[in-house]
Amino acid sequence: MTLFIQQLFDGLALGGVYCLAAIGLTLIFGVLRIPNLAHGTLYMLGAYVTYFFLVTVGVPYVAAIGLAAVVLAVIGVLLERIVFHPLRNAPHTHHMIAAVGAMFFFQAVAQAIWGADFRRMESPISGSVTILGAQISWQRIVIVVTAVIVLGLLTWFIKRSIHGQTIEAIEQDRTGSSLVGISPSRVSMLTFGLAAALATVAAGLVAPINLLAPTMGDALSLKVFAIIILGGLGSLPGAIVGGFTLALAEVMTSTYVSAAAGEGIAFVVIVLVLAIRPTGLFARAVQR
Amino acid sequence: MLTVRGLSAGYDAVDVLHAVDITARAGELTVVLGANGSGKTTMFRTISGIVRPSAGSIDFDGRQLPDLSADSIVKAGLAHCPEGRHLFAKMPVEKNLMLGGYVRRRNRGRVRELLEHVYELFPILHDKRHQPAGTLSGGQQQMAAIGRSLMSDPSLLILDEPSMGLAPLVTAQVLDAVAQINRDGIGVLLAEQNAQTALRIGHHGFVLAEGRVVLSGTASELLDHPDVREAYLGV
Ligand SMILES: Nc1ncnc2c1ncn2[C@@H]1O[C@H](COP(=O)(O)OP(=O)(O)OP(=O)(O)O)[C@@H](O)[C@H]1O
Ligand SMILES: [Mg+2]
Repeated sequence: MTLFIQQLFDGLALGGVYCLAAIGLTLIFGVLRIPNLAHGTLYMLGAYVTYFFLVTVGVPYVAAIGLAAVVLAVIGVLLERIVFHPLRNAPHTHHMIAAVGAMFFFQAVAQAIWGADFRRMESPISGSVTILGAQISWQRIVIVVTAVIVLGLLTWFIKRSIHGQTIEAIEQDRTGSSLVGISPSRVSMLTFGLAAALATVAAGLVAPINLLAPTMGDALSLKVFAIIILGGLGSLPGAIVGGFTLALAEVMTSTYVSAAAGEGIAFVVIVLVLAIRPTGLFARAVQR
Repeated sequence: MLTVRGLSAGYDAVDVLHAVDITARAGELTVVLGANGSGKTTMFRTISGIVRPSAGSIDFDGRQLPDLSADSIVKAGLAHCPEGRHLFAKMPVEKNLMLGGYVRRRNRGRVRELLEHVYELFPILHDKRHQPAGTLSGGQQQMAAIGRSLMSDPSLLILDEPSMGLAPLVTAQVLDAVAQINRDGIGVLLAEQNAQTALRIGHHGFVLAEGRVVLSGTASELLDHPDVREAYLGV
């Protein structure tokens, strides 16, 4: 039972991280209808920039994540402007090739600045609490709480604020959006900025638990793609439910079956879901 | 006032419109008639900045619309309620309307007024305001689309076949509302298959055929014109 509670918390913390990373990807898919293959490298850069502010500059942990999120939001907007905006009328394969190019570029930049070796970001939040007999580290509690707060703010932004609503408007009807005066180009920038900032929060939260490396985004990239396919491409609740489902499945399988099975479970879950519900769990009824 | 001169436009370098001249006077209801495929929708899409013209000018209250982006055109006071409605189907009716006021978002007071005005015009939208737009009946969806366009506080409203796919009774309701909107002082440019009803509520009219204006005049002139009577009124 103690082990189970321990794993449950690990799963929730990992789920929070997956959600934050996956939401950006699903929003970009909803707005631009492209799979942003470079998303994992934005997450990786987010981790390094957090590391830079925390270790090199020496600002407090939460401020470091916040500053890194702002820096990455700018990088996300630039990525949209420089790479994807010029391709807006091109076939989708061009986007994918461009995204792969951006991915290699970001990895090379990280390697040039921080080197190819693993780096460790010491957890600034130490200690743990005992809940129902299980030892839960404060870092994991901070991850879960921050993820919940950020997800709440994000949901408020997208559902309630007029700027956030433009994201869903474009997803639901591009022509209708243009005709009410919403500029698709502005919404694309907003979406990329938001996606990169969210990925950075995810990376900054998990960095003290994992190691930093220029390739750290690759495994995450596969998983967040699995999550948004699982949840239904473009669906916000889908990304949230998908993120927690996958994380819990992964943690529980690693503990009770084997670590290798845990790594592979994502793909087992996807194959099962796609076999039963090919459109994902939260398929959008309106597609165009 | 909207003045279209020598307008040519189309898709993939093939023109669908050929040197079209059309005028919609301020505050008037101008009717555009034309068979299927004659280019009504293309003309409207060009006016509102979705399709780029290959030649010609579109002057709206002294501004050249082809120089403006689609959102600046809405801000300038021209609203386009498109064929097929293009509502945000999964959002509640009220959110659709509020997004219609997107370009006026800094003026909250005005947006409130406009919303109340739309609910007065279409009380059914008030009853259904929390329901996803996609679940409304065809007529109610058309009202929501017109309402959403009105939310941008236009001086000219383009309506592309608002009665498409509606039962005769509902069509009459929708066109009554259009006449009411026009009486409230908003100019209307209306494409409509029900030529008779449209010309009855209209001031001026144009007939398009294969992308050219083949006939124009006051609404009553057109109602009496033998070609119009034969082609559209089945007389
Ligand atoms: N997106 C498009 N791409 C290519 N051709 C198009 C497109 N839309 C319309 N056309 C062509 O342009 C011509 C004019 O079409 P348009 O829709 O403007 O006519 P319309 O008068 O609005 O017809 P309807 O009464 O059926 O709505 C048609 O020949 C049509 O096939
Ligand atoms: Mg048409």
